[in-house]
Amino acid sequence: MSKDVSQEHSEIGSAQDQDDVVLKREAGFNLRGLRITLLRFGIVGGFLLLWQIASGRWIEPFLISSPSRIFASLITGFQSGDLLQHTWVTFTEIAIGFPAGAITGIALGYWFGRSRVLAEIFEPIIIALNGIPRTALAPLFIVWLGIGIWSKVGVVFLLTFFLNFFNTYTGMRQMDQEYVDLARLMRVRGLKLTFRVILPAISPYVFTGIRTSIPFSVIGAIVGEFIAATEGVGFFIRLSAGIFRTADVFVGIIVLMFMVIIMDRIAGMVEKRVLRWQTQSEHVGVQG
Amino acid sequence: MSSVETITQTRAETASGDNPVIRVETVSKLFRTPGEGAIRALQEISLTIRYGEFVTVVGPSGCGKSTLIKLIAGFSPPSSGRILFQGDEVRGLNTRVGYVPQESKLFPWLTVEENVGFGLDSKRFSRPERERQVSQFIKLAGLAGFEKYYPAQLSGGMSKRASIMRALAYEPPVILMDEPFGPLDAQTRMVLQDELLKIWEQKRQTIVFVTHDLVEAVALADRVVVMTHRPGKIKDIIDVPMARPRNIFEIHRQEGFDEAYGRLWNIFRHELKLRSH
Repeated sequence: MSKDVSQEHSEIGSAQDQDDVVLKREAGFNLRGLRITLLRFGIVGGFLLLWQIASGRWIEPFLISSPSRIFASLITGFQSGDLLQHTWVTFTEIAIGFPAGAITGIALGYWFGRSRVLAEIFEPIIIALNGIPRTALAPLFIVWLGIGIWSKVGVVFLLTFFLNFFNTYTGMRQMDQEYVDLARLMRVRGLKLTFRVILPAISPYVFTGIRTSIPFSVIGAIVGEFIAATEGVGFFIRLSAGIFRTADVFVGIIVLMFMVIIMDRIAGMVEKRVLRWQTQSEHVGVQG
Repeated sequence: MSSVETITQTRAETASGDNPVIRVETVSKLFRTPGEGAIRALQEISLTIRYGEFVTVVGPSGCGKSTLIKLIAGFSPPSSGRILFQGDEVRGLNTRVGYVPQESKLFPWLTVEENVGFGLDSKRFSRPERERQVSQFIKLAGLAGFEKYYPAQLSGGMSKRASIMRALAYEPPVILMDEPFGPLDAQTRMVLQDELLKIWEQKRQTIVFVTHDLVEAVALADRVVVMTHRPGKIKDIIDVPMARPRNIFEIHRQEGFDEAYGRLWNIFRHELKLRSH
């Protein structure tokens, strides 16, 4: 009897040992992660350092400015409120154009996906329209909507719309029809069918559309502001470049970069929440 | 309450006497394929299924047995002939059947509980009724404690159970099952067969169950419909007069099994010989 117990103990012991080994291996993995993070910071830091050293010594500062100058301009820009105003204008254009374009694109993509007739009539037309480099239409928007924010809202809308439309429409075509058949067999129709079955089924595609259109919405706003504007980060960049204030050009670029990063983070958080039913394990082990 | 409703429904059905619930009348189905041209999947199938019957449809793969129940579900129309369901011709989706597909096809974005309750119409079931019904069927499937899980977090056997419960929970008079236990391992299969029979013995809904497994076909059924290879025809229909409740785990020892299985095997042996020539 006591022998049995001790045997059991030794078995548990060995399982414990195995778990420890696994944990240690995972700890090793974390160490590896830390090394990679350090290396990444090292590379970025080294690049900034090299930039700082090169500026004024090997290359003219008005061409490449320098990290310290850019940082100083960033601070003064925000302190004077000037940069804040430009950022606010660009943000407003995107805050109106992006959701409007995304919602219209998703709705139309869904609608085309549901209606075969509509898809058959319009599909070639939309593909043809998609062939137009859309930023080429920006001057037209200035003509139609003036040099205020609405022409930029229009360009943002256009760029966002197409990406969301195509992704949603692709989702509708790739969707497993059996889910819809099953739901309809259970007498599920109308809004419940749309919101409980179809939209969730295509939601990975919808989110791909939203996330790929984020940087393009910023491009839309900037292109609009490059062409004709009196305010906005795009205007600020063009103005600064025109008078060789290179540091300010970089300041504008940094502001835009953070705008995209923040929007993408927010979308990523929403996506994670909405698509929490998907297995995360799918993403593990892809890169050995 | 829903159980009262079921009882009245059952009474109405028995009152209608020998009226079949499903009547398949000389149904053929052709498919157009890019490679081989038209394929005749079903040829002049006629079949009558009575209320409360457990019918299995067995045949080699590609014999059109899945096509047959898809036609009964109304996923697509027959090329000729007609299918009557409770006396009405099936046109478009047949919303009076429950359907259990080959893969579980649970809605991956809904939890187990939401999946099982998906077919419970708010007009037929009040909220507390709905909750009672869902928890009853989840318990029946041995999934208690997993209500909030998503399908991706379940094992194959568990999602199968949930998939069957989704079809049973809203109590359609007929449940169509398309090789539901196909991809499972032998042990899980037997456990699920056993559970299915237990549930069916309580609820006595009509079940049409497609399988390619001869033992499964005999073990579950009141009648086995045997189909031949393409073009799918009904070769024979075998009665399985085995007593119920049945013990799936020792089905071989049960009286009547050998006889029914032997008859079934004879038909198939003949089929195999024909094809090897």
